[in-house]
Amino acid sequence: MTRILPLLLLIMTALAAAQTGEQEQQPIPAEPEIAEVAAEEVLDVPPGDVSPLAGVELTAPGDITVIDHPDDAGDRLILSFSPGSEAEHADLFAAYIVYRRPAGGSDEEWMSVGVIPVGEGTQFVDGHDPDFPVIEGEAYEYRISALYLDETEVMGEPVIAQEVASGQWFHRGKVRVLVACLIFLGLIFYFFSRARMGATMYLRPIAGIEAIDEAIGRATEMGKPILYVPGLSDISDVATIASLTILGRVARKVAEYQTALIVPNRDPVVYTVAEEAVKQAYLEAGRPDSYDPNSVFFLTQSQFAFVAGVNGIMMRQKPATNFYMGMFWAESLILAETGSLSGAIQIAGTDAVVQLPFFITTCDYTLIGEELYAASAYLSHEPMQMGSIKGLDACKAILMVFITLGMVLAILDIVAKTQTLAWLKDLVTSQIVD
Amino acid sequence: MKRTVPLMIVLVGGVLMIIQYFIPHQISQDIFDNYTIWVPIIGAFALILGVGSLSRLHGHKVRNKAPNWPYSLAVLVPMYLLPVFALLLPASVGGGMDPPGVYNFAYMHIQVPIQSTMFSLLAFYIASAAFRAFRAKSLLATLLLLTAVIVMMGQVPIGELLGSWFPKVGLWIIDFPNNAAKRAIGLGVGFGILATQLKIIFGVERNWLGGAGE
Amino acid sequence: MKENIWSRMLNLDRRWIFLCIGVVCIVPFFLPFGLPVIPTAHVISIFDYIENLGPENAIFISFDFDPGTDPENMPMAVAVMRHAFSRHIPVFFTANAPLAQGMLESGFAYVTNPDAQEYFHVVSWQEWAQYREQGITGRDELQAAWEADGNVLPENASGWVFEGRDFAKLGYLPYFALAILGMTSSIASQYPEDMNGNPLIDMPMLQEHKSLRDVDLATTFSGTAACMWWVTYAREKIGLPVAFGVTAVSATDYTIYIQSGQLVGQMGGLRGAAEYEVLLQNAGYVEKPDRAFIGMDVQNAAHLLIFFFILLGNIAYFAGGFHKKGVLLKGRR
Repeated sequence: MTRILPLLLLIMTALAAAQTGEQEQQPIPAEPEIAEVAAEEVLDVPPGDVSPLAGVELTAPGDITVIDHPDDAGDRLILSFSPGSEAEHADLFAAYIVYRRPAGGSDEEWMSVGVIPVGEGTQFVDGHDPDFPVIEGEAYEYRISALYLDETEVMGEPVIAQEVASGQWFHRGKVRVLVACLIFLGLIFYFFSRARMGATMYLRPIAGIEAIDEAIGRATEMGKPILYVPGLSDISDVATIASLTILGRVARKVAEYQTALIVPNRDPVVYTVAEEAVKQAYLEAGRPDSYDPNSVFFLTQSQFAFVAGVNGIMMRQKPATNFYMGMFWAESLILAETGSLSGAIQIAGTDAVVQLPFFITTCDYTLIGEELYAASAYLSHEPMQMGSIKGLDACKAILMVFITLGMVLAILDIVAKTQTLAWLKDLVTSQIVD
Repeated sequence: MKRTVPLMIVLVGGVLMIIQYFIPHQISQDIFDNYTIWVPIIGAFALILGVGSLSRLHGHKVRNKAPNWPYSLAVLVPMYLLPVFALLLPASVGGGMDPPGVYNFAYMHIQVPIQSTMFSLLAFYIASAAFRAFRAKSLLATLLLLTAVIVMMGQVPIGELLGSWFPKVGLWIIDFPNNAAKRAIGLGVGFGILATQLKIIFGVERNWLGGAGE
Repeated sequence: MKENIWSRMLNLDRRWIFLCIGVVCIVPFFLPFGLPVIPTAHVISIFDYIENLGPENAIFISFDFDPGTDPENMPMAVAVMRHAFSRHIPVFFTANAPLAQGMLESGFAYVTNPDAQEYFHVVSWQEWAQYREQGITGRDELQAAWEADGNVLPENASGWVFEGRDFAKLGYLPYFALAILGMTSSIASQYPEDMNGNPLIDMPMLQEHKSLRDVDLATTFSGTAACMWWVTYAREKIGLPVAFGVTAVSATDYTIYIQSGQLVGQMGGLRGAAEYEVLLQNAGYVEKPDRAFIGMDVQNAAHLLIFFFILLGNIAYFAGGFHKKGVLLKGRR
């Protein structure tokens, strides 16, 4: 670490000099005291002593090759070069500095666009620095300098980039994602079409969904309201959208039974959609006049202030039935346990796996994970909705076969001490980085 | 019309964003950048609607002298007064966001303790839920009970004092059996999300636009 | 069903449980036992990672939590802040929500409070303007120049922290997930100014770390799934290393990301924070552990009590013969 500090100072100074258009082969002017600190700490050279590189002939890095960065927007170029004499003086070498100017530009146009510290190879991706963007289609000229710890900067020859940056229309690293998407889409649409043609599809009963009507009926009998919490997440969370679809169904039943409904919201966008969903449900049920505009409301965006608000409603208005559908976090148990304390029937549904135990412990019924997403199909019995569930099952079946096969083969690999599956592991786990 | 236009927007937007993912070209990036600019703008308008909703609800309660209506005042007054103190009034009359202003006082000495109190209820509720849930009613329930005790004791120093294996076994349970189950549910959830998104994009699922979709 | 002592025990009014928890949460504050906390691998990995960074690196500390989870999340953020400040690692502070920005202010004020036994003395952006004008922006040269001008570090201070050199308070932005995405290209494009209205572009730490690609670690402290934004939008897009500090109830949610290598490590709940405090103490950065360590006494007592209640419930269940009858008394209390 003590090496890196002065190194950083050196590089900063070199960059500052480069920005002001310094010429090649000239030592970089720096604050004398900074240079002394650097030399003293790193090289153990007493201030004022002659540099170990004095009189040594140094060659600059060269053979610059510039290629277009693949799979990008046309805003990056990849430089590679061969080292000069730094390898022979590795102890004294600090960093490479990459300079760029428009092809055929003047000396004043050289800009230092990057630094490659010692030990980080001889390749550089230009275009990451937001202050020096690479323009698509523009020809550039590059040169690389080697900066030594004694401030000597050995400047390489300028080279006109062999390629210009150009954007691509397909990211080749995402082929595997595309293939998986196509299989998935194909299966879903296949089952959509089967459903449309009238194929009968069986869905196993889910107690939590079947209990929804019963729970609404109970509230009606007791003359108490129904509380529906559409989760705490925003509209971009699919669990929230799944929750809003269930809310539509619940609101329709509630409208038919003439029961009071309370829908507190944490997100303003979710609130507007939830309000519309409930209003529409009352309209469809033929009772638009029964709709209470105060039944759906925004409470607060703050997580625990929201919980306090909802708990207050539970304890004051004592709803007969509480629905918690959507995304919940650390507040799940506080909500559900208060509901349980108030004596309500509770039905929860979430894909937040960690919160499931809390709901299972305190609620009468819980929709686990994807059951939340399936609820809409269960409630509507629309063929297309049922088809999507079947398509989903088919995808999972394929995945299960792959997992089982992978597991068996991986165990065999371990037993036989071979690496035959390494390519598959790389294919699946290698990261797609932009 | 009321439904067709939003459904068309979802269809076009959804398909566009799927395709955009595979195209690194600048045009595709520009579309995405525009999207990221518009989302906060639309969100800001929705926040106005949210504040409007809260004002309407509590204003209604205050006007009609509904039960507990003074609490509605406790919502409305700070909601409108705090921004005035924070953004408009000078520091000499307690304005501004820094201490010793009114806003800072309300935040540090009212909001923070109240919300922390809400969160701390979790300790009480977890104890009561654990008491009711962890009973050795069956083989599976017994396994759950034992696992819970090991993980629980592994989380606190006293567990380490009782047996140094507690944290090790606890961490193993979290890292392996727990993660295996989580991944299984997670895969199902992932596919569920994908299917729901497709249903929304292609208009199969339209309940979220309001009503039961009939 | 006839009520007897076992049935009453089995259906114990939950308010008794609440009372007992209340008592065991308060007592350890007056009678601390101070049992040793042994750090676990998930926390050690974060500590070691930061331990290998220095002034040439930079990290993000993102306050992605509400006041609600302050007791659990704040000690973690404070511990990491102390570690980074001690090692002169430049820190960018962000917040994912308006209320989280208050948490940022509060956490920063705690670490830099001159009345505390150990604190970092803040030198504001304006205070060291003259050194900037002279071109002195390097960490050590700046401190040397600052002290050479007669500025003396107070006795209880652990070190100086220069605004713009050692830290930048970026604060809250709406739709923070999109802000993270934007910062992968340029931090200044998302935050032209810091929370105090200082121009970010002029700050040396921003000039050295222009985008998240130039940052070495993002630590996020959260009570919700907001922490995942850093994985989705920064880790997956540009490979930024990310470490989590989450509430104990959410901790098991993210262990899969440690296994898959997407997280450097994770602090779970107060225990995670206490472990980090112990690591700081062992490494000599602080004299004694902070609030989380003290809170562990409460956790010990509460865990024992919960264990006792579980035992009680099971004794009543079997002694009362309920396992044979297959029925439990109904009723919610």
